[in-house]
Amino acid sequence: MTATKLLRHETILAVLTVIALAVLASLSDKFFTVENLLNQGRLMSEVGLVALAMTFVIVTGGIDLSVGSILGLTAILLGVFWKNLGLPLPLAMLAAIACGTFAGWVNGFIITRFRVPPLIATLATLALYRGLAEGISEARSVRGYPEWFFFFGQGEVLGVPFQLWLLGLATVIAAVILGLTPFGRATYAIGANETAARFSGIRVNATKLWIYTAAGFLSALAAVVFVSRVTTTRSDMGTGLELDVITGVVLGGTSIFGGRGTIIGTVLGLILIQALKNGLSLSGVKGDGTIVVIGLVLIGAILAGALFDRNRGG
Amino acid sequence: MTGKGTPGAHDVPSGNAASSLPIELRSVSKSFAGIRVVHSVSFDMHPGEVHALMGENGAGKSTMIKIMAGLHQADEGEILVNGRVVKFASPKDAHAAGIATVHQELLLFPELTVAENIFLGQTPKTRLGTIDWQKMRERSRQLLDSLDSGDLDIDQKVATLSVGNRQRIEIARALAQDARVLIMDEPTAALAEADVQRLMAIVRNLRDRGVAIVYVSHRMPEIFALADRVTVLRDGHHVATKNISDVDEPALVSMMVGRAIDRLYPAKQGTDGDVILELKDVSYRSVVRGISLKLKRGEILGLAGLVGSGRTETALTIFGITPATSGEILIDGKAQAIASPEAARDLGIAYIPEDRGSQGLIRMQTIEENVALANLKRLMRGFLVDAARVTAEAKNAITKFGIRARGPEQLVRQLSGGNQQKVVLGKWLATNPRILIMDEPTRGIDVGAKAEIHLLMRKLAGEGMAILMISSELPEVLGMSDRVLVMNGGRIVGEFDKEHATAEAVGTIMTRTFTNGEAA
Amino acid sequence: MSAASPAIGRSNLHRFLSGYGQEIVVLLSIVALFIVVGAVNPRFLSDNNINSIFAGNAYIAIAAIGMSMIIMAGHIDVSVGALIGVIATIAGTLAVAGYPVWIAWTVPILFAIMVNAGVGALVAYTRIPSIVVTLGMLSILKGGLITATAGEWISGMPVEFMIAQMRPFGIPSAVWFMVGLTIVAALFMRYTDFGRAIYAVGGNMEAARAAGINPERTVVGVFALHGFFAGVAGILFATQLQVIQSTVPPNLELTVITASVIGGVSILGGTGTVIGSTLAAILFACIGSALIFLNVSAYWLRAVLGLMILATVLADMARRRRAR
Repeated sequence: MTATKLLRHETILAVLTVIALAVLASLSDKFFTVENLLNQGRLMSEVGLVALAMTFVIVTGGIDLSVGSILGLTAILLGVFWKNLGLPLPLAMLAAIACGTFAGWVNGFIITRFRVPPLIATLATLALYRGLAEGISEARSVRGYPEWFFFFGQGEVLGVPFQLWLLGLATVIAAVILGLTPFGRATYAIGANETAARFSGIRVNATKLWIYTAAGFLSALAAVVFVSRVTTTRSDMGTGLELDVITGVVLGGTSIFGGRGTIIGTVLGLILIQALKNGLSLSGVKGDGTIVVIGLVLIGAILAGALFDRNRGG
Repeated sequence: MTGKGTPGAHDVPSGNAASSLPIELRSVSKSFAGIRVVHSVSFDMHPGEVHALMGENGAGKSTMIKIMAGLHQADEGEILVNGRVVKFASPKDAHAAGIATVHQELLLFPELTVAENIFLGQTPKTRLGTIDWQKMRERSRQLLDSLDSGDLDIDQKVATLSVGNRQRIEIARALAQDARVLIMDEPTAALAEADVQRLMAIVRNLRDRGVAIVYVSHRMPEIFALADRVTVLRDGHHVATKNISDVDEPALVSMMVGRAIDRLYPAKQGTDGDVILELKDVSYRSVVRGISLKLKRGEILGLAGLVGSGRTETALTIFGITPATSGEILIDGKAQAIASPEAARDLGIAYIPEDRGSQGLIRMQTIEENVALANLKRLMRGFLVDAARVTAEAKNAITKFGIRARGPEQLVRQLSGGNQQKVVLGKWLATNPRILIMDEPTRGIDVGAKAEIHLLMRKLAGEGMAILMISSELPEVLGMSDRVLVMNGGRIVGEFDKEHATAEAVGTIMTRTFTNGEAA
Repeated sequence: MSAASPAIGRSNLHRFLSGYGQEIVVLLSIVALFIVVGAVNPRFLSDNNINSIFAGNAYIAIAAIGMSMIIMAGHIDVSVGALIGVIATIAGTLAVAGYPVWIAWTVPILFAIMVNAGVGALVAYTRIPSIVVTLGMLSILKGGLITATAGEWISGMPVEFMIAQMRPFGIPSAVWFMVGLTIVAALFMRYTDFGRAIYAVGGNMEAARAAGINPERTVVGVFALHGFFAGVAGILFATQLQVIQSTVPPNLELTVITASVIGGVSILGGTGTVIGSTLAAILFACIGSALIFLNVSAYWLRAVLGLMILATVLADMARRRRAR
């Protein structure tokens, strides 16, 4: 996995993204405006935050299907802590984020302690966390948040949406951790060959536990941004988020078998998806037609990757 | 069974003496990646005989049995079944010709019942074409009873059975296919003593029914108790085929070992360093039993024994993969709890595992990524991995150990076995260990690279490294070790200094004590 | 040693209980639920309610049969909910357009078989994990459905099309289908080579190959079969109400997977029965209904399901570790 080889997929993706942007810009003159692009950035922030953590998860050879439910649960808890328990809103935010982070830790604990395959463990917690959100909220939404709270989802700093700054900062941190630190090296090693990683003195279980916990934390963070953006809390928030996130990560070149992937790739994958969604809808394709395109792109990208690998004799 | 010839089969007149042989190999050769592992070997089986196939690791035994089982195709030579030339393109063809294998890894379905495991793929049918469970259960019952295994419940799931019982199911499976040749690859390697006796009874039973049994094993007592004939291979060549009554144990050992040992190995030096590692009555569950040993600076201590004798398990316990359940491990005379590989590494212990591909290396990563893996903490600048130092470390390893590679960025999976092993060594020596455990250090490595690794081991010992070497190759154990410990049944059963460590002495105690049950 | 009696210490009853343990637990749970809830609120036992529990959820049980086969073969399908939605819409559209009823019933089922056989081929021959392929399919089917229908509901289907509402011998036809297909599938899994091949491939792929089974063809076949069951489920779903909502029933795939897992299909493949999944689907329907009759908020239903999956999976892991 030399740097050049590593970047090959990312290069293809970058070219693809540029072409998509160019085509979409030519289809609609509304597409390539600063306003539209910033707005699109705002829309992809929540998926983006979760996708950063999901990249780590998938690089270790795991998967986390429960991120959407953690987002929903955190959103509900935020509302409940603030409105029903009467906590001050900043404190309610912290408490809700702590709960979401804990939910992620529980995933990691089940996976590392009991050796349940991540797919199944998080499928179960997907149902459990969403069920808790539904049970606690009983389908009642929470509204009436104070004005200052909307800053996280609607505010701007220096003309750029707040959550884009947040996403940018998180991206840089994630890229540095995965690409440049011992933790990142351990993440790749676990995904590529867990036994050899253990035999090399890597703390496999601790690393995985951190990663699933981080997935919970970033999902919870995304929940706060989401609630602030749409000004209300509902228990179905984040339903299907895992699909968008996994699609972005896998499209970004992260191998579903683990051991391979980069943050840059994930970001490019997310941009491509968001651009397709937006561009297609601007050029008149109905909202849900874009989902079809995303499904096709996901299968196509993996298929191309699998064939590419086979040709290399991998 | 019908001797179904595959395309290209031509008839030899029946009535020919050769036509009754259930399988015969004539001048078979096989190469992998240009390296010849079997040189024009001939081998035949008579109905109702046990024919032992012997040789050291790498002698070509497993390639031979894989050719017979249809897993490999011979490059030269021919295979005859009942006097007809056949070609096995796949294991299916070999099955059709009446050749079955009891695999070492036991290819069974844990969640299905015993009866179904015996018949899966060729289940008895009712007139409607559906599976006839009643008949299947009855025939399973008969088959197992005929193998003196009346105690096996045919309706039980295989997952709950012991290895010995699973093996009997595989044998029953072969009988259900009407096999005339049964290949048994180290069938007793993973068996407890009582099961070994039982297996031997079953083998005799099969022989009496006319089944020809190819029996691969290292264990002398079994060979002498069971075999009618024995064929010895060495370095892919056929050394001899003899009636068992014409050979004795020392003769077999010398046929297998063959070459003079001393000149192939670097000269030993005298060592009288301090004890650096000491084990006091260390146990792990029931696989490592009360091991006590002392390892000195500058010494190469050989740990000999058969596969499954507890050698590797002892190493894993010292290295913290399976932390000791009782006893004490002392480093420099201080008791240490080694609960994980990190802890072992931080105490200056390095372990070169026996299975390079799955335990030693990350094959899809580069040399420099692999070399850095055990040593990341030391290769940091601030919070980050210092990429320049990682590259420097890898380059250093490449020159120091003579790794033949394009550069530190080459993928490990593209290297040869010997060079891969040097990468593992490079990774662990970069941690500056004082105790080096090497498990099968030259397995699957060609002769040239072998010598280089041996030389390196001796050099490291000369610089004061304490080396614990585990090996199945007797010549390597004898040639390299300053002292030899022999393990058997999870215990240490013998110790030899270099003057007294001979192939006969060590080989005998490795194999003999086990079957006599003295290990207890 | 040959004198030892067969089956030492294991009576037939014991063996039966260990072979069908999970199914028996689920069945006893259903019975207990009926007794307890019926005692608290007798209306729970009314014909109407029992009818709605069984007939209204039969399509879930039928989809769970196919899903059980998929999981036994060592795979998973998260797109089944979307597929059922698509099938229902195609069937309804055909029926409203005036095609003969049998075409409106069979064409969608054939479509489901073909789609899933394609998914199976991708999974078997490209080695892309089924979770990824079916995630993609979920997206394609869901998006395609909403795009094609623009979210409009279908209504005005001819009466003879409404197969789920027919009541041969006084019992809703959906229940007939559920019982009939469960029995046929159970016999198929037990008495045919293909049924056993599904267990073999899910249990030990290499051993299956060594036993002369073609694992790739088995995987394609099991996906196609799963398509058939999803197709039938889709037709029942389409015909049980007077309108077809043209949306994917929310979280249907999760309910179906949960039914399979709780019915005793090991998520690691190689074991389980289709009877268990049908019983589990009934159990969920009972729990959902019972919550209402016990005045417990139905919003907790999914949390209960989540806990049940988790408990079942942990028990399965523990059982396997003990067996080793």
